[in-house]
Amino acid sequence: MSIDPVVVEIVRNALTSAADDMNATLIRSAYTPIIYECGDCVVALLDDEHQVLGQSAGLPIFLGNLETCTLATEQRFGREVWQPDDVWILNDSYLGGTHLNDVTIFGPVFVDDALVGFTATRAHWIDVGSKDPGGSMDSVNIFQEGLRLGPQKLVEGGREVAAVIDTIATNVRFPYPTSGDMHAMIATIKMGQARLAEIVARWGLETVRAARDEIFAQTERLEREVIRNIPDGVYRAEGFLDNDGVDLTTPVPVKLAITVSGESLEFDVTESADQTVGPVNCGTAQTVSACRVGYKLLVSPDVPGNGGSFRPMSVRVREGSVFGAQAPAACQWYFSHLGLLIDLVAKALAPAMPERVAAASHGDSMIVLLAGRDARHGRDYVSLEATLGGWGAWEGSDGESALINNVNGSLKDIPIEVFETRYPFRITEYAIRPDSGGAGRWRGGNGVVREYVAQQDCTVSLWFERSTTPAWGLFGGSDAAPPEVVINHGRPDERRLLKCNGLRLKAGDTIRCMTGGGGGYGSPAERDDAAVRDDIADGHVSRERAAAVYGA
Amino acid sequence: MSRYRVSMDIGGTFTDVVAYDEETGRYRATKASTTPHDLTEGVFAALSTLVPQPNDISFMVHGTTQGLNAFLERRGVKVLLLATAGAGDTYHIARGPRMRLYDLHYRKPEPLLPLRDVVEVGGRFDPTGAELAPLDEDAVRAAAKRYAAEGFGAIAVAYLFSYANPAHELRTRQILEEELGDGVTVSLSHEAAKEWREYERTSSAVVEAYTGPVIRRYLARLEDSLEDRGLQVPLHVMQSSGGILRASSARRSPLQTLLSGPVGGAMGGVALAEALDRPNMICVDMGGTSFDVSLVVDGKPDISPEAALEGLPMLMSVVNIHTIGAGGGSVGWEEAGGLRVGPRSAGAAPGPACYGRGGVEPTVTDANLVLGRIDAEWFAGGELTLDVQAAERAVAGLGERLGLGTVAMAEGICDVANAKMAQAIRTITVSRGIEPREFTLVAFGGAGPMHAVFLARELGIGEVVVPRFPGAFSAWGMLQTEIRKDFVEPYFHVDEDLDRADTARRLAAMADEGLRALADEGVPESGRRVEHAVDVRYVAQEYTLTVPVHDADEPTREDFVEIVAKRFAQLHEARYGHANPGAPIEFVTLRTTAFGDLGRAETERLPEGGAEFPHRVVPVVFGGEPRDTVVVRRDDLVRGHSFDGPAIVVESTATTVVPPGFTVSVDAIGSLLVQDKEK
Repeated sequence: MSIDPVVVEIVRNALTSAADDMNATLIRSAYTPIIYECGDCVVALLDDEHQVLGQSAGLPIFLGNLETCTLATEQRFGREVWQPDDVWILNDSYLGGTHLNDVTIFGPVFVDDALVGFTATRAHWIDVGSKDPGGSMDSVNIFQEGLRLGPQKLVEGGREVAAVIDTIATNVRFPYPTSGDMHAMIATIKMGQARLAEIVARWGLETVRAARDEIFAQTERLEREVIRNIPDGVYRAEGFLDNDGVDLTTPVPVKLAITVSGESLEFDVTESADQTVGPVNCGTAQTVSACRVGYKLLVSPDVPGNGGSFRPMSVRVREGSVFGAQAPAACQWYFSHLGLLIDLVAKALAPAMPERVAAASHGDSMIVLLAGRDARHGRDYVSLEATLGGWGAWEGSDGESALINNVNGSLKDIPIEVFETRYPFRITEYAIRPDSGGAGRWRGGNGVVREYVAQQDCTVSLWFERSTTPAWGLFGGSDAAPPEVVINHGRPDERRLLKCNGLRLKAGDTIRCMTGGGGGYGSPAERDDAAVRDDIADGHVSRERAAAVYGA
Repeated sequence: MSRYRVSMDIGGTFTDVVAYDEETGRYRATKASTTPHDLTEGVFAALSTLVPQPNDISFMVHGTTQGLNAFLERRGVKVLLLATAGAGDTYHIARGPRMRLYDLHYRKPEPLLPLRDVVEVGGRFDPTGAELAPLDEDAVRAAAKRYAAEGFGAIAVAYLFSYANPAHELRTRQILEEELGDGVTVSLSHEAAKEWREYERTSSAVVEAYTGPVIRRYLARLEDSLEDRGLQVPLHVMQSSGGILRASSARRSPLQTLLSGPVGGAMGGVALAEALDRPNMICVDMGGTSFDVSLVVDGKPDISPEAALEGLPMLMSVVNIHTIGAGGGSVGWEEAGGLRVGPRSAGAAPGPACYGRGGVEPTVTDANLVLGRIDAEWFAGGELTLDVQAAERAVAGLGERLGLGTVAMAEGICDVANAKMAQAIRTITVSRGIEPREFTLVAFGGAGPMHAVFLARELGIGEVVVPRFPGAFSAWGMLQTEIRKDFVEPYFHVDEDLDRADTARRLAAMADEGLRALADEGVPESGRRVEHAVDVRYVAQEYTLTVPVHDADEPTREDFVEIVAKRFAQLHEARYGHANPGAPIEFVTLRTTAFGDLGRAETERLPEGGAEFPHRVVPVVFGGEPRDTVVVRRDDLVRGHSFDGPAIVVESTATTVVPPGFTVSVDAIGSLLVQDKEK
């Protein structure tokens, strides 16, 4: 059926806006800050063939893998399993691809007894009953990581399934806020169901389907146009995680080959490491998402995602590898190698699209977890922080300093004034870390220094990554400095480490965290003299390094 | 005899003036071109048609975009920032979020000063305000020398925990004044924003230092020339909080004046809600390139304790205004075979094709003109003659590419623009937990009334109000406000640790301070009042809600914590859709707001007229068909007139478009009420 372009555009905006409204509902109703503050969530509307009609920006790492959940459910139980007024739940890592904390809730949408689509949302729950509160850094199988749910009904015919909800409540450490988040997600599903039903009712199913086909075709045309300009060939890049968090001496290789032919791209990660003992594994769905993020950053950053997106790309994953984890592989820390993979997409394609890529970023969450009992009032505390770092430079600009990594969305740091009020520590230095960004015609952004002085005895857990493969430069730009953490800097008992679990500290001990910078772009010899002078004045680059690298 | 209450909205292009005659109870409005070399020239050009003599003015208030424009165009002064040693990079780290997630080339909001203009100064407090290290006075003196040598125009001082103990910031100002003289502009962070979170507080102080001298110079000049021309009453200035202050006090805390311009419209919405007895309103202000939405909920303005400009935060009370990238200038274009409208705008230059200034792409204004929804000769009061043929050419060109005729293309551009605006409004209301169907839509600004009824239809809203003087509604709103001063005291306590007697003492002290400030503003004793509130959250939450406290004595009650917890739970339920009764809460900030009533302009009740009014009937396209449409001048309508759409009401500052299915009536205060016949 031929369709009026005005109707297509109105329907396109209505679908995108329905997803925005679902997202607003989730953020508004969620109980825990990891959802309403960090935005560790995503929503989507799907058609009845599991194609994305509209989705919110959400956390990039979740890009486009909600449809795998509805599809997997249908494949397991048959299409007739979908019934009006049902809501489903699942969090199985090997289906959803991510760790058990990421729970997906979804439901079918019916108009006049016909299945017209689905709405779905995924959000991070603060605890799903793993061996350590919130999740562990050293789990070795999925059974240590908490409650694992295959697809099942949470709401049946409009009524909550009490037995399932009760089972969840008895398996998590914080049932009250978890129940709040679950109900926020159910409300989100219902609002999406109503919105999609309204759109179908207003325009009619035939019109919406015709509009959908045209919307997908437009998106596909836009993406293929970009890909057509990439010369055919095989583009490769590789890097290493320092280790899997359990065996601290063995690096974990991540290898990517992208084959471009005509208007299509194939991502191949089959030569990457076998699944590890430690928790840096993920299911295939999440690997596909990471490749899509890398693709979208380069090909279609401004195009709202839908079922027409990603048609030109495919992903090859090897089962039993870190990217195609099989039971019972541990998946808690599923994102470290995905962050690396996303960065590698830009590295691989750099020769083909030099003006769109950027050098690498510091690359991981750089987690500091502090815990203890605060003697000021006798209450227990746990503080979990991601630490900012530098991002890579690109053609025409230096990289940004002190920015959150890719998989943490729009997370903000904790102000010193808030931190010291809440927890028994003094933060004596929080600064941009000079000389940590890679040199180049365009300089990589710098990481940060954050130094804590314990005022009372406590424990610290750390997950700092990317010392084996620090952020690389491009086109003659230098690599960035790796991260470093020093306990009791300058004292006889000084020690350096990047990962640890529950290390005991005494009052007066210090933790000095330094994150890596971003890579440089282009030869340092070509850097503008005035920019080097500004870098010295601003403290981004020391005089010594300026003399050594830029001859200033 | 002074009898006129006057307000002025001095924008970049036009100055709107509204005068209320206290004797006759009548309002009049006019506009003149803004005269940047001497603003009073434009002001008096407009004023002279409304008020015989400056000394006839009994009250004067104005809103200005001077500070905002200086900020947006980055025309502020060069600022030196003094910060705590070890934390000097706070302003540039800027807490590190990435606000655009799919942008490999992301840069943070551009800071107002480079890192090299930050001086670290020794000295440290702990969270309770106890001194851990003394202020390094030599470092402050060295900074003063640098200020003088390098041509800075202002100094911002932002030390850690200054909200708990301001001694180091105060001493720093003293030293700077010793070294540089009293004339130096020094913004202390605890004065600009007395709240915790060092980045946000530093940013507030830097914005104030950066724009303060511009705002001060402007206010001083305006006051002087008003006085020269014979104005005998103090000039008042609209504040970002929705209240007003004397210009002399606005000069002392210039940050509060920054968002003065657009706030008048939102406050006009509040006044209109009261006058029409419709407590819930969605106010849309649409101009050539902008589309602003504000809410009135339960008769109150929607006020936040925090705002951001171009990503730079400021901790201050501000009326929420949501800016959406749309307007008459939004461009219709083709992408991958599909139609798009906006977010790109043709702006004022080249502007829509019909302006005849070189624009060739079709805009929403062009589409309205092609459809006959704009009267080419009456646009902007006849000051701008529109080129219908140019609009048709532009629209037809896009239509050819998309396979649509000119008229269908024009209506399509309008339909898409309306759908997008309606969806943006819906997302704002959904995130606040508000159902738009229960609200009245108020439309003002030049283009607001042209689209409002279509927006209402998309949102399921049954009633649209187009107030009198829709082009000067912001100025009208300023006449409906009162003096407002906000006082803030950080007060971090978990509920079980609260010393209630101490809370009461602090609130009483803040009340005294507020009442003194009102006396300084010249508010008669009978018109002074204070309101108290406390920012509360559940333990470990990031965000707070502001919970009212009935009076300064209330904390002495045994059950005070339970009362606050209950009020908090109710607000939490309304704002977030759920609450957590019984969970521990924490107090974060004490707030006292002082209000001063300087008498207000009454709403004018109009006399009833006859049933007949002059009008024309012309064909205008609705739903693809030319329809016989009533075209009437607003000046010819009086209370009691009523007619059915399709209709177009034209006036010098705006055009109201009413599609079929709606009916129009004129109410007692001269507003157009447009109602859906089926609701």
